Amino acid sequence: MRLPCAFFAAFLTAFALAAAGSAGAYHTRFVAERCHFDAPTPLASITRDGSTTIALRARREGYQWGGGCWNNNDVDDSPGDPTSDPATGGEGPDCSGLTFKTWRESLDTGNSGAYGWGRFRYVHGPYTAAAFKRGDGAPNKTVSKSALVRMDALASDGHIGLFYASNPDGSDQIVEAKGEAYGTNLWTRTYRGSTSYSGVRRAGWSS
Amino acid sequence: MNGFRLLSPAQIALFLGSMAGLLAGATTVALAGGSVVRTGTSEPRMTIEATHLPPLLTRAGEEVELAYEAFCPGGDDEGGIEAPCEVTGTVFARPTSKGSFASIPLETATSAAGRELVATVPEEIAAAPGGFEYYATLTADSASITLPAGGASAPHKSVRLERPTVVDLGRHVFGEAHRPSARVAEASWGTGPSEVGLETGRNLPPIGASAFDVGRDGSVYLLDEARHRVLRWDEGARAPQQIPLSVSGSLADMTVAPDGSIYVLETVAGPGGSPVLLRFDRDGRELGRGETADRTASQIRMGARGPVVLQQPSHEWMPVTVRGTMADAEAQRRSGRVGRPVAAGGDVTVLRRGDEIRVAITTGGGTRLSWRVVSDTPIGEVQLAEPLGGGRLAVVFRAFTDDEAEFIVLVLDSHGVRERFSVSAADWAESAPLGRFTVVGSSLYRLGSSPQGAFVDRFDLEVGS
Repeated sequence: MRLPCAFFAAFLTAFALAAAGSAGAYHTRFVAERCHFDAPTPLASITRDGSTTIALRARREGYQWGGGCWNNNDVDDSPGDPTSDPATGGEGPDCSGLTFKTWRESLDTGNSGAYGWGRFRYVHGPYTAAAFKRGDGAPNKTVSKSALVRMDALASDGHIGLFYASNPDGSDQIVEAKGEAYGTNLWTRTYRGSTSYSGVRRAGWSS
Repeated sequence: MNGFRLLSPAQIALFLGSMAGLLAGATTVALAGGSVVRTGTSEPRMTIEATHLPPLLTRAGEEVELAYEAFCPGGDDEGGIEAPCEVTGTVFARPTSKGSFASIPLETATSAAGRELVATVPEEIAAAPGGFEYYATLTADSASITLPAGGASAPHKSVRLERPTVVDLGRHVFGEAHRPSARVAEASWGTGPSEVGLETGRNLPPIGASAFDVGRDGSVYLLDEARHRVLRWDEGARAPQQIPLSVSGSLADMTVAPDGSIYVLETVAGPGGSPVLLRFDRDGRELGRGETADRTASQIRMGARGPVVLQQPSHEWMPVTVRGTMADAEAQRRSGRVGRPVAAGGDVTVLRRGDEIRVAITTGGGTRLSWRVVSDTPIGEVQLAEPLGGGRLAVVFRAFTDDEAEFIVLVLDSHGVRERFSVSAADWAESAPLGRFTVVGSSLYRLGSSPQGAFVDRFDLEVGS
């Protein structure tokens, strides 16, 4: 009886440890299997229309804190990432990562040039929402909230969303990576009137 | 085999048990979803996304230009390089409910934001006494979109304001907010039975107590979405009742029907890709479930014949039930209208245009009362436009600068402003974007929040019915 008991005791202990360890270290294979780290494409010019299209392609995709890689299949390919773990390897940008890639900026904060990254390039960029709010970085500046143009942004110390269009009631449609429970999408928001939010603009549009 | 000779049988059993346990544990977690990779269709399909700000209320003599912006987000963009998207389109317009629709080609123009498609409505249509109605179809390759989604069945209507009452507010003075008449409901942030929850997660500003409503009997309903329930304070009760709801949360909006049914509009998408609608009885039992017709929805309110949802990009209020059951997308599209149908009859149509708000109460296709509110301070969203009876209308909207924000409350009649005051934004936690105010009888209610908790305040209107 002792040998089977020893076997089962060891089995149960190892099972519990393995299960807890695997669950705690949740990560999907999305980034590992789908994303790359290629150099960005230098761009001679960028337009707001082009950036709008890039932002809209992220709609209905996932959200990944600190992330920056997604496809365009209208599905969150790694739902339910634990929000406490920034390295789960899941699909989607976070709010500032979406803004960085949509605005096609450089990793060098002193460089105001334009760089195309592509959906599958895993990159977040050097800016937090708070840094965008301050207008940090050569291409970025603050702008009055009453003067926003499509693909300007509204940023707080913890979040940033891209202005897409106004509604007849004065609210705004915003493209944003909102959180794990929300994913990335287009929603009606009233950030413009909130004192937590400031207007931010990327400089250098060709139209 | 030599190694095993050094181990006792008990040690071998322990070793084999451990290996088997580790393998089984990791496999179990993986199969249970701990390492999920869900794969949808891999190829981007051709789609069109479009936006259009409809000129719902126009003034005599105004040139009416219809502008549309369209994008093709379905194509590939690897490299982040601009992808061409050649969209063409046609507007179909006619005097309201008269004759056939005239076809007007959209032409390409350039705005401050980029490329747009525009058409000027001919004077004989734009100047029709009852206003005009229109819809547009936009096409790129194999994809097309109709705005509003109901097309000829539920076109946009543009109403001409013949003699609106003009109210000039001048420059708003911040910091003189009105004190509420009473605090009718209050809950601290927390996990207790009488407390209200905050959503958790990285990168999230505080979100909680996303919507509220007040019943005719004075009961206050607070949607505690983070904890999947409604807290209901009955008239005079100090502690709330808990009504569990099978909602996912996520900045949901809510309205309560006269029979106590609770309707919840989720902002996250369901299986069909559009926001989810849920109906519960007064005890929280789910009675129905559906999705909105459009990709985005911002408000759910009770209309004269049931709940209606404001949807984008159609910018129309669509009924979401038919004879008590959830309406499908096509039924919603066919019945869209630009004004919100109100219980007392008629529609209320709102248009914020720059620092001006235009509001009209329409009945039977004609304008009964209308106002133009102009301001020297930027105007944000209109939170509320609700008839009070006797030709009066309560309007609540946000005035803001880059550093300050307050809500302005106006009670309007045909002579102008009957009452005016401002209330603090009280928006520490994010809630449903257009769910901060409601009117019951002669009282205005506001959902607010602070670092301590959420609350509902009542402001008694001096000129109520």
